[in-house]
Parts: sequence; C-alpha cells; structure tokens
Amino acid sequence: MKQAGKRLFELVLFLFILSFISFVFMKAAPGDPVRYMLNIDDVSITDEQVEELRNELGFNEPLYVQYWNWLIRFFQFDLGESYMTKQPVLQELINKVPSTLALTFSSMAVMMLIAAPIGTLAALYKNKWIDHLSRIFALIGASVPSFWLGLLFMQLFSVKLGILPAMGKGTFLHLLLPSLTLGIAMAAVYVRLLRSSLLESLGQDFIKSARARGLSQKRIFFFHAFRHSLTPVITIFGVSLGSLLGGTVIIEVLFAYPGVGKLVVEAIVRRDYPVIQGYILFMGLFVVMINLLVDLSYRYLNPEIRLRGGDKG
Amino acid sequence: MSVLTISNLTIKHREETLVQNIRLSINEGDWLALVGESGSGKSVTSSSIGGLLPRELIISSGSIHLGGVNLSSLKEKEWRTYRGKAISYIFQDYQGAFTPFMSIGAQFDEMLKTHLNDSKQLRKSRALECLNNVNLPAERVYKSYPFQLSGGQLQRAAIAMATILKPKLLIADEPTTALDSITAAHVLQLLAEQQKQTNCAVLFITHDLRHVRKFANKMAVMRKGEIVESGMTTAVLKHPKHAYTKALIAAIPSLKQTKERLVTI
Repeated sequence: MKQAGKRLFELVLFLFILSFISFVFMKAAPGDPVRYMLNIDDVSITDEQVEELRNELGFNEPLYVQYWNWLIRFFQFDLGESYMTKQPVLQELINKVPSTLALTFSSMAVMMLIAAPIGTLAALYKNKWIDHLSRIFALIGASVPSFWLGLLFMQLFSVKLGILPAMGKGTFLHLLLPSLTLGIAMAAVYVRLLRSSLLESLGQDFIKSARARGLSQKRIFFFHAFRHSLTPVITIFGVSLGSLLGGTVIIEVLFAYPGVGKLVVEAIVRRDYPVIQGYILFMGLFVVMINLLVDLSYRYLNPEIRLRGGDKG
Repeated sequence: MSVLTISNLTIKHREETLVQNIRLSINEGDWLALVGESGSGKSVTSSSIGGLLPRELIISSGSIHLGGVNLSSLKEKEWRTYRGKAISYIFQDYQGAFTPFMSIGAQFDEMLKTHLNDSKQLRKSRALECLNNVNLPAERVYKSYPFQLSGGQLQRAAIAMATILKPKLLIADEPTTALDSITAAHVLQLLAEQQKQTNCAVLFITHDLRHVRKFANKMAVMRKGEIVESGMTTAVLKHPKHAYTKALIAAIPSLKQTKERLVTI
C-alpha cells in the first residue's frame, strides 16, 4: 500500500516535470500559431488583429504566468481548446485515443505472434536453417524503414490484390495493414532478443538439474527456460516503448489512420500548442502505465522481487 | 550385484579425445570415489552416465550398462524413465540445483508427477517426509523459494530430491566443493545415511582425498581422461602403485607434519 502511494506520487511528479519541460520547449520553438489562425481565410491581416489575438490567448504574458494558467486549468481537467478546431483538447484526445490504442495493441499482438515462435525455433535449432532465416528476417526487418514497408504492403494488398483497405479506419480489416507494418518492424528486434535470451536460459545449471530429474523436454522448455528468458525481453520492451509509440505516428500518417499520432502531426504543423501539450501528457501517462505493468510482471516472473518487498522492482 | 558397468568408454569432442577406455563397475551398496584433478574427465564421465553430455560431445565407443540396460543406446524419450528415477544426480553448484522462480515444493511435485501416478496429497506427503529425512524443517522448506534457503539447506534439499525415488545409482558430482568444510561434512554424513537407507550405489566425484578416505569403500583415480588406478580405498591409499596417485596423496596438506612448502603435482 505504501508502495502504491509512492508510485502515485512519482507519477504526479513525473507528469508535472514533463508538462513543464514540454511547455517551455514548445514556446521556445519558432513559429507563431496566431498567423496560422488568422491566415485561414486568406485575407490580409493587420498587426492590430495579430496583437489582439495574442493578448486574448495570453501569449504576451511572461512564460511562467502562461504555464501557471495552464496548470490551474489542468487541475480542473481542462486542457484548453484546440486553436484550429475550437474543440476542447480533452474531447479531441478522447475521440482519437481508442483508435491509437487499438493500433498499438494489435501491432504488439502481431509482433508477439511473429517473435515468439520464430525466436523459440531459432533457439531450439541454433545454427540450423530456421536460425539463419530468422537472422535474415531480423536484418531486413531492422533495416527496412516502416513507411516504405507500409507502402509496399499497400501496393501489394490494396492496389494489386485489392483485398485490404489502404487507409482510414472502421473495420478490423482497416487495422490489418498498419499493424502488420508496425508489428513486423518491431518483431525483428525481439526475434533475436528472445533467441539469445532463451539460449542463455537453456545453458543454466538449473536446466541441467531439471533434465537430471527426468522432466520432459517440453516441460523444461516452457516452464523452466522460457519463463526465465522473458525477463530481459520484457525489460527491453518497457524501455523501447517510446519508440513504438513514435512508430504509430508514422504509420497513422501513412495509412491516414485517424489516431492521436495523426492529430499531433497536424497540430505541430499549425503550432496548435494545447493539442501538442495534451498529446505529450497522454503519452507520458501511457508510458508510465506500461512501465508499471512491466514492473508488476517482474514480481510474477521473479518471486525474489515479490517477497523482498519490491526493492529490486 | 553390479549396478553400473562402464566398459571401454571413449568420449570425443570432434577430434579431441576427452576420456578414453574408461572401465568402471559399481555394486549395490558401493561408494565409489572418482578422483583426479580438474579437467581429468571426471565430470564428462559422470554426465555421460545420465545422458547429460552436451550435444557436441559424442560417445565414440564403449558402453554404459545399468542393470541389464545399455544406457548409451537409449533415445531421448526412453531416457526419462531412468533419469531421476534409476539414476539421480547431485551437482556441485547448489544454486543451480533448483529453478530459481519455482518453490521447492512445486519442483518436488513436478518431479513426482513425472515419474509416478500418485495423488496430489500423497505426492506432498512423500516430499515432506523426504525433506524431514534430511533434517530440514519440511513444511517451511516445501513452501520456500531457493533464494530463501542457505547453501547447506539447498544441498540437503537436493539430496532429498535425488533420493526420493530410491534410485539404484546416485551420482554426486563434487557435491561439497561449493560449501564450507563444516557444512560439507554434514552434507556427506547425510548422504551416507541416505545410502544406508536405500542401499543405492554412489558414484562420488571429488578431489578431496579426506572425504574419500572417510566415505568411499572403493576409488578410481583419473588423469588426462584415463583411469590410472582403481581398487579398494584402503589399499589404494596405503599402497598406491601409480606415480600420479602417490603424488596426489602426497599433496594432501597435513596437520601433523609441517613442510616448507605444499607439494605440487
């Protein structure tokens, strides 16, 4: 219980620091949203109009005052309004987040469906053809940019074969190409990681002991070696989650998939500060949550952490 | 009656011969010590008996018989009925005796389930009885994870596990090397008691001649992959024939005589 409280405090502190840093960097970056906002109608704008809007949006206040005002509203669950759509940012995020989560989790599912069997087979048949094949797959998967792979998939499945939709969202089929693209790119790393981790586990003394006890090969592999080899894989997964989410941005833009990634790219182009800030906070929250799950999984995988009060977790 | 007979065993790693022409015979109730320096092929020999050799090591000639069964011709699936049941092992590294994230009880249960068709309660009571036999607080150890036990406790739990199915042959591969000398003495004492109870044959791999003198009735000396001398322990230790055995005996640090320097082999 005490631990949970500590975790919650860390989370709040983390979000606070994250919001401050992103706020400062955003304002320091060149570009002016006011010009974009007034340029919409393509009529000439006067300096007075610009000044008036700047005042209205509080851009002429000192930076810390601006941040303070944002923070006050944040604690009232108000992330401000988008400059472009005039919609509340929170509402925008709530509309788009489920699509991005669906894409993220289906990509992760694709990644696991590829990485788990191939990584396992590569370890079991070390230096046999399946291992070489997995090495080639990893090399290609890691070096082919995902946007290009996405384009190839579109060309093949949508244009030539015409069996899958190339863009947009709606049905399960719409998810297939984007999550395949992202999942394959991610799987490349995990195939090799799982393989080497499994080989390391299989060389452990406790595996030899388990064999000496007469346990079946299958039992030893799944209940002793595989579980042991998951710890490093999950650790890397937690660490590399940020780049996975960065990957969703590219994929969403490529497949015109309306998630938060696409939303934020448009927001960045137009200097739509409240949306960018909202996106950063959402991502921060998401990453922290996943890392929390990663920590929880350690407690299951290694009882030592659970029983020693989690000081290693 | 001979439990284990090894005849003309040669094991190779590619072109390199690791052990050559090994001949050993262990009878019921025997405690045979296999001694020799590191790298002399003791552990390779003991691993080959249970079919635990790494894939790269090949038995190129000779045979290993347990009772009437030729072990060296068994397939992986057939092995399972011998490993853990007819032949069991105790290894040097007690940390590696148990899988770190499973409780001791779960591992006992897993092993018993593999070899027997007992009910769950029966399996548990068997395990507890066995842990009790090796002077461990059975209930607590049964629930514990390996990291919660001391080295001596782990090695005793390993002995309990190795003897629970009353194997014909118990292979103890340097079981005390990683323990302090007092704990080591306790562990070996315990092993001797277990042997008396089950009347199994023990193949004891060690390089500590004091333990050999105390526990083993027979011994064999290995050097560079070959057995250079074997016989009854008392005979070999009193009247060693081979120069290497003599050197080995002379190298035991003695508490009585004080020499300038320790004798090297």
